[in-house]
Amino acid sequence: MCAQNTVVYARSLTKRYAEVEAVRGIDFAIHAGECYGFLGVNGAGKTSTMKMIYCRVARTAGELLVLGMDPARDASRIKQRLGVVAQENALDPELNVEENLLLYASFFGITGNGARDRARELLDLLAISAKSKALVRELSGGMKRRLVIARALVNRPDILVLDEPTTGLDPQARLLVWETLTRLINSGLTLLLTTHYMEEAARLCGRVAVIDEGRILAEAPPAQLVTQYAAEDVLEIVDADGRLPADTQLDGLVARRERHGDTVYLYNADNRVLLHRMAALGFDPPRHVARRATLEDVFLNMTGRELVE
Amino acid sequence: MNALGAFFSRNAWRVFHRNLLAWQKYAWSSVAINIVEPFAYFLALGFGLGAYFSLTGYGSLVQFMAPGFLGLTALNTATFDAAWGAYERRVFNGVYESMVTAPVDPLEIAAGEYLWQAFRSTLYGCLFLAVIAGFGLVHSWWALLCPLVLALSGIVFAIPALLVSFVVKTQEHLFYYFSFVVTPMVMIGGVFFPLDKFPKWALVIAWLTPLYHAVKVFRALVLGTVTAQTALEALWILVAIAVFAFVPVRSIRAKLAN
Ligand SMILES: Nc1ncnc2c1ncn2[C@@H]1O[C@H](COP(=O)(O)OP(=O)(O)O)[C@@H](O)[C@H]1O
Ligand SMILES: [Mg+2]
Repeated sequence: MCAQNTVVYARSLTKRYAEVEAVRGIDFAIHAGECYGFLGVNGAGKTSTMKMIYCRVARTAGELLVLGMDPARDASRIKQRLGVVAQENALDPELNVEENLLLYASFFGITGNGARDRARELLDLLAISAKSKALVRELSGGMKRRLVIARALVNRPDILVLDEPTTGLDPQARLLVWETLTRLINSGLTLLLTTHYMEEAARLCGRVAVIDEGRILAEAPPAQLVTQYAAEDVLEIVDADGRLPADTQLDGLVARRERHGDTVYLYNADNRVLLHRMAALGFDPPRHVARRATLEDVFLNMTGRELVE
Repeated sequence: MNALGAFFSRNAWRVFHRNLLAWQKYAWSSVAINIVEPFAYFLALGFGLGAYFSLTGYGSLVQFMAPGFLGLTALNTATFDAAWGAYERRVFNGVYESMVTAPVDPLEIAAGEYLWQAFRSTLYGCLFLAVIAGFGLVHSWWALLCPLVLALSGIVFAIPALLVSFVVKTQEHLFYYFSFVVTPMVMIGGVFFPLDKFPKWALVIAWLTPLYHAVKVFRALVLGTVTAQTALEALWILVAIAVFAFVPVRSIRAKLAN
């Protein structure tokens, strides 16, 4: 049932709130040392899934094992070994940066000099040492997020769970968080994260599960998802007057065609070959973008919706 | 977890410590607010109004009110912070939210909050006690037991306030508690005037509130009129704590682990 190195195991995992079925029977297994990501839009059920894992809400049905333990019975022992970066920061605005870390450490039984050393080490790691005596409200959004990550690491967790670690951050702050997370992944820590940024999933995750309306639609390494559910290349053409040649005229070069408004997406193996063939047909696409396919395209193909609105 | 054990668990004291750390940053203004205001009322009523009459069988108004205000101070400090303070900690500051992602149990959160309100009541109550002692209104060494009773009062007043702070949907609803429960309780608590001219039914209601008993104990300790009855009043408070302290835990659990 549960392989040696499986650290989180879910089968038919379900979460129902009063009226909403947020998670509708999902299966996944996360292995030690990997970075596993849930990619989905707002309301897909990512946070509900994370909260069941970090024992914040009880599951409605299905099986769930975290570090071999059942959250319904062993929440406290699981929490002892998890690091949690929740979607909301929940930093204590009445305490300063260092106090936030020390208090949180104390809940894990880490106190005294040991706690102070650990706090100093983490503030260095997350590059916020200069702010150790600052109140939380004096920190920028990116610093707050890094402090939450530092706090999550204070108990040397076996798994770091991050719910949308960079949502709302500016690109520079996001890059800093990505660098930190990359270092943690390289150090062998198991990471579980959710995101609606395909770039984040592609950069950080070894495997990605595409989640939508409470269901996992596909799961694979990012590059494999792209080739499997999109193609190598995409040609986006604005075709308002419908002059674009039909697929039959294009020698089967188009693996898949999607239309969203006036924009047609031609998924194909090589844009240059496709454009060449079109030129031979006397069609010179007026406005077009020739690019590589991404997870965004995977998402669009699977759900008919865009990942980031 | 063992219910009584929660009071002595390390995490309960860490919850307490969190509040202490936050409080230290504004301790002086907090002390001022919690002392100056009741003290102003005490002076105005006791010496201003009290100058015109004395209470038949009880002596001067100021002497009557002095121990009553110990109960009032415990009530106000514990109620305000357990209701409004805890609401802020929960809703705006995510304090409890981060505690339950760490291995802190809602029972330990409740216990930590009770310990904190016990501390506040004792601190502010003792400051008031020092003031009335300075006015020569304390007449017995029994008054040395006041800190203990202040601590117990802080806990018993914190119970309903903490419950309210965890069940209300908006902060406006907190004020219903202040207006419809706390203020009437003060009026029938025997703080400002004796209750023996009250109708019987009003006394029954008063008997059901913790303030009535706390004030009786403070009055006996300050005046040195301790009897077996005083022990029963104190027992009432202890029993109320034992019976009701865990009622808010269910609501805390419902809010923080659903
Ligand atoms: N506590 C809750 N009570 C009721 N519905 C909820 C609650 N939390 C989430 N939901 C609903 O469950 C669905 C999934 O939400 P969530 O897990 O937060 O998704 P995501 O994190 O992917 O945005 C949404 O429709 C949301 O409105
Ligand atoms: Mg979410």
